[in-house]
Amino acid sequence: MEQIPGSRCGRCGRLAAPPARFCPDDATPMEPAAFPAHGEVISFTTLHSPPTGFTSPLHMALVELPGGARCFCHGSGTRGLKVGTQVAIESVDQIYYFSTLSLGERARLFWRRSGERSARLASFAKSATKRLGRFGR
Amino acid sequence: MGAVYLAGAAMTRFGVRAESLFDLMAEAAHAVLKASAIESPDALVVSAMNPEEFVGEGNFASHVGTYLGLARTPSLRVETATSSGAAALFAAYAAVAAGVYRSVLVVGGEKMTHLPTPRVSELIGRSIDPYERSYGATMPALAGLVTRAWMARTGSTLKDISLVAVKNHANAAKNPWAHFQAPVTLDAVFGSRLVAEPLRLYHCCPISDGAAAVMVVAERAPVRIAAIGQGADYLALRYRDSFTGFHASQAAARAAYQMAGFGPERVEVAELHDAFTPFELISMEDLGLAPSGKAARMLAHGETALDGRLPINPSGGLKARGHPLGATGLSQVVELYWQLTGQAAGRQVEARVGLAHSIGGLATTNWVTLLERAA
Repeated sequence: MEQIPGSRCGRCGRLAAPPARFCPDDATPMEPAAFPAHGEVISFTTLHSPPTGFTSPLHMALVELPGGARCFCHGSGTRGLKVGTQVAIESVDQIYYFSTLSLGERARLFWRRSGERSARLASFAKSATKRLGRFGR
Repeated sequence: MGAVYLAGAAMTRFGVRAESLFDLMAEAAHAVLKASAIESPDALVVSAMNPEEFVGEGNFASHVGTYLGLARTPSLRVETATSSGAAALFAAYAAVAAGVYRSVLVVGGEKMTHLPTPRVSELIGRSIDPYERSYGATMPALAGLVTRAWMARTGSTLKDISLVAVKNHANAAKNPWAHFQAPVTLDAVFGSRLVAEPLRLYHCCPISDGAAAVMVVAERAPVRIAAIGQGADYLALRYRDSFTGFHASQAAARAAYQMAGFGPERVEVAELHDAFTPFELISMEDLGLAPSGKAARMLAHGETALDGRLPINPSGGLKARGHPLGATGLSQVVELYWQLTGQAAGRQVEARVGLAHSIGGLATTNWVTLLERAA
């Protein structure tokens, strides 16, 4: 199951993602921690004039992970997204991406793919299993 | 702690200016030396957020001092990102209150419009947490995130935040020192291009050039600085647990009201940091100028208009007067000085106590200043 590396303050219990060297409140080193890679959208925006090195439109969200640490993420779109939506988070090259695909949406997406029926079923099963695993605990 | 007064205030017109940063700062500073009839202040405090990169100058206080003709006056520069002007006023206030100096000239300015907008955005964005910046976060992006969360939590609407722009442009149209000189309609705000959803262009302040200056003195003068309070918050947005208000504003207000010995009920005019229009509504509640959840209704009912019960941003605010970073905090104080001494022709309100509120970064280092007409 995918986890997001972070840190925890031994004094006040604050959680941070990604890991921070010192607690922002206690001037004390933080300890390593890890959080499940899903959570609730606190807010999101689409930036139409992103800085150099990014393409427009740039979608980003702030997601609260189980335990309370908040994580910055990119995403491929914000259609249907609301404050409070549950999203999965995947990491690619240490950049986090949120995704809102439900089981039904995954099924429809894979059904529309060309190819053998068995191949479509297999890829849906793989995706769905990954998702179930992510939300399982 | 001794009483501290303002003996004079001046600013340049904000906007796209051809003059150098030094000429803009000299225009404001020399006007204050004249208005306060003090030729040789004991010290000089300079504010500029990033002159190293905007105009390529270092050792900035000495540079400004020499240019102004105060080369051998002790000088220092103060920087707290976009609230640097308020921080410079605080440094002067503290020095005079402590009896270190009897008179301090404070001058702030920024020159920005000569650079392309993406570069300006990048330079301002340096005030953001580096990790969040690595995701492409800019000030409008973080403001968009805060605004969306605040709207979801409070039920505030796009119309609410758009009415702030309409009001502040209307005020700026009466202020010859303002960047924008024309009113805007609600439709124009709704029709402006998206910047960082849900924020559109007309919800955001412009990029401006300009300077502002005040003279801080120990001797009795027309306006008294009743208090200056500062509040701080995490640089990283992801460390904050609430977006319904800014902790740094709330803490700054608490400190200022305690220092002044009075609360928001005595405030009769306010200049708030509306770099993004929802911030005006958020700040009204943070500062106790509106009951929780009531700021949008006060605005819609005209209570914060020029002829309202509590005029807010009579200058046009950052939204329409403009936002030359290092000048902004001081320009709020200049506007209040003019309002309290009857020199705000065309937009004059009746007030004895004014409040200035300045946000540094994405509300990581905020200031609240209380000014009172000296009876």
